[in-house]
Amino acid sequence: MAETVRTGARAPGIDRLGFARLLRAREAGVFIALLVLCLFLSFATDGFLTSLNLLNVGRQISLLGIMAVGMTFVLISGEVDLSVGSNYALSGLASGMAIIAGFGLIPALALGLAVGAAIGLINGLLSTYGRLPSLIATLGMLSMVRGTALIVTNGQPVTVNLRNGALPDVLAAFTKMGQGYLFGTIPMQLVFFVVVAAIAWFILSYTNFGFRIFAVGGSAKAARVSGISVNTVKIWAFVLMGLLAALAGILGLAFLPSSQAGRTGLGLELDVIAATIVGGASLSGGEGTILGTILGVLIIGVMRNGLVLMGVSPFVQELMIGLVIIIAVGIDKWTSRKAG
Amino acid sequence: MIQEQDNIVEVVGVSKQFPGVLALKDVSLEFRRGEVHAVIGENGAGKSTLMHILAGDLQPSQGELRIDGKPVRLRSALDSRAAGIVVVYQELALCPTMSVAENIMMSTLAADSAVSLVPRARMRKEARAALARLGMGGLDPDTKVSRLSIAEKQLVEIAGAVRQNARVLVLDEPNSALSVRESERLFDVVRQLRSEGVTVIYVSHHLKEVLAIADRVSVMRDGRKIETLDNQDLSEARLIRGMVGRDLGTARPYALDAPPPTETLALSVRHLSAAGLEDISFDVQAGEILGIGGLPDSGKDGLGEALFGLVERSGEVLVEGKPLSAHNPMAAIRSGMSFVPADRRGASGLLAMSVSDNVVSASLPRFSMAGVLRRGAIRREARAQVARLDARISHLSQKLGTLSGGNQQKIILGRSLVTNPRVLILHEPTRGIDVGAKAEIYSILRGIAAEGVAVVMISSEIPELIMNTSRVLVMRGGRISGDLSGTGINEETILARAMTS
Repeated sequence: MAETVRTGARAPGIDRLGFARLLRAREAGVFIALLVLCLFLSFATDGFLTSLNLLNVGRQISLLGIMAVGMTFVLISGEVDLSVGSNYALSGLASGMAIIAGFGLIPALALGLAVGAAIGLINGLLSTYGRLPSLIATLGMLSMVRGTALIVTNGQPVTVNLRNGALPDVLAAFTKMGQGYLFGTIPMQLVFFVVVAAIAWFILSYTNFGFRIFAVGGSAKAARVSGISVNTVKIWAFVLMGLLAALAGILGLAFLPSSQAGRTGLGLELDVIAATIVGGASLSGGEGTILGTILGVLIIGVMRNGLVLMGVSPFVQELMIGLVIIIAVGIDKWTSRKAG
Repeated sequence: MIQEQDNIVEVVGVSKQFPGVLALKDVSLEFRRGEVHAVIGENGAGKSTLMHILAGDLQPSQGELRIDGKPVRLRSALDSRAAGIVVVYQELALCPTMSVAENIMMSTLAADSAVSLVPRARMRKEARAALARLGMGGLDPDTKVSRLSIAEKQLVEIAGAVRQNARVLVLDEPNSALSVRESERLFDVVRQLRSEGVTVIYVSHHLKEVLAIADRVSVMRDGRKIETLDNQDLSEARLIRGMVGRDLGTARPYALDAPPPTETLALSVRHLSAAGLEDISFDVQAGEILGIGGLPDSGKDGLGEALFGLVERSGEVLVEGKPLSAHNPMAAIRSGMSFVPADRRGASGLLAMSVSDNVVSASLPRFSMAGVLRRGAIRREARAQVARLDARISHLSQKLGTLSGGNQQKIILGRSLVTNPRVLILHEPTRGIDVGAKAEIYSILRGIAAEGVAVVMISSEIPELIMNTSRVLVMRGGRISGDLSGTGINEETILARAMTS
């Protein structure tokens, strides 16, 4: 009753524009936090509010962002994927080694993506038909995939260059994917991120499959009695995650053409999950948006960038990032509890 | 022939065997097209097993279901829905994070291709139409389900069912969470559906409501269907007679043999109120076994938690004249109160821990010195309790979870006894326990009472109350609706106090 009175008292003109609704949206808190952070950095540093720096931030967050988009699918479906850091390493290595072996660009990319999708498929099968909690299944896969990467490279760094056997035109195209610029200004990685996010946003908001992901994560029982195959939906979410982790891994290698199985992407899964959670996705499933995830990724990216610009020590940076994760998620929990 | 066509669902000679229990015995029932058919019976009468069979959750061990005269096998909830049967349980199958429209349209969307687009506008329109059909045109289809009241959620689930052209709608205890006005609205919906030819199967404890809405009433008892009655000149008393039966209720009440209560007041409850409880007052003498009965929504299931201080409460609870501080179970234990919750697996037993750890877990200070457990003393105490309660275990370090239900309950009773309680409160003390172990637990409880402990037994099983308690308080609507003793303790009176106002 009180609820009706409160909304009724709002000026109708404002509500028609959807402002009130925008402010009540889950993303509003993260958005305001991001805005405050940007404002602060604009005043506190000289270098922050320049197009060069902002594009640089855009490039830095892109790989994290691509993976966080995948994680959004997995979290909404009520699962989690810890193997994405290892997937990032192995899939990138697969493409890189293929290029060194003289493959064309398309076959090499396809190989890396296939490796990523296969890891996602295994994660999905273990977490559904295998009846393992995804936390356990993907924790196991984290080690197994990393182990596989170490075995195939024998622990040695893999560098994608002409001397190692890459074909010149293939190498040029590959390098352009990671280091190139669209219209000479926008980093290619950022372009990939924007395209991935746009497609993902469309899938989640407008397609039947997106609907099913929300239904499965919100209540598996309700989804099941409605005739949705819960397992199929979850497996697809894992496969998408696997594909996107692979894409990020490939782009990562294309940017920095050397990778070491023991180090690349180590611990990355935690950054990915953190960004997604900060963006409002719920670990218990059923909730999350691509917009929120983008904001979550931006907060972490802008924070890192700003701390570097301000000359804060990298040790303190780690501490600050952790603080931001706790506060961002905490604000959401503390306020949503009051709202019921 | 015409008779057969009138029946939409026929249950023919259905039995259901669970390990150790025959839950349904040769049940035959016909549900007619476009009727409201109530199914009533006490706890354990077999109603919910029958509904689970209709829902496709369980398969009959014997007998068959017929729909439109043709035998069918319902292997899953999906099969059942495809056959036009929708069961709305008390715990609803809705997705709380999604909107009303999304929930109503979920099965329609599930039938579409996964690579199609979601027709948002059409969805909203059709959801609004489905709601309007149930007289809920005012509900915004974009509202999140988690923000709705239970009554609204129920109607949303019914709206979804109706949209799938449900021909048989099963409502399981639909009224238990609804206010009078909400119940009225539900009745309007039920009548509306009946006029459209939908069969509504209405499972309920509320006889007054059953009489108000049902065309026919089937009475179940002990897994059998006793009778199906036309709702003409039916009275609550007539229904209760059917549920109790003449052959049952002959067990001799314990109250007739119980030793006269001592004059020592062990537990006094004064104006106790908590969630679902209103102004409860009663006294229990030392050595007395007091029974608390009532329907599932009567408030009795929250009484134990409220007395023990597990939930917020107002009013006074006194043990041997000393008031307990509210919301503090530790203080309750120290003052001599002990509580055995109903949910053995979830709430009371430490299933992954050993028998001896469980026995002492409520009295750790007594069995530790400077924070270090005194293992020898613990084993001695555990051994003593196991012997006293005649619990069958292989060794003291056996995990509680590996014991049978009856032996688990004995160990949990042992834990209570180690605290030297003056007042022992038990909630559903024999739920899920086989007959032999039940009898042993009853005799243990009598022994405890004979030692001067006040025992409060909260139970849904009326025979259990009759055979073991010297006084029975019956609850209804959060209040005490009957205080029975002596020959007043019989099934008919208890049911009458529990079901009728």
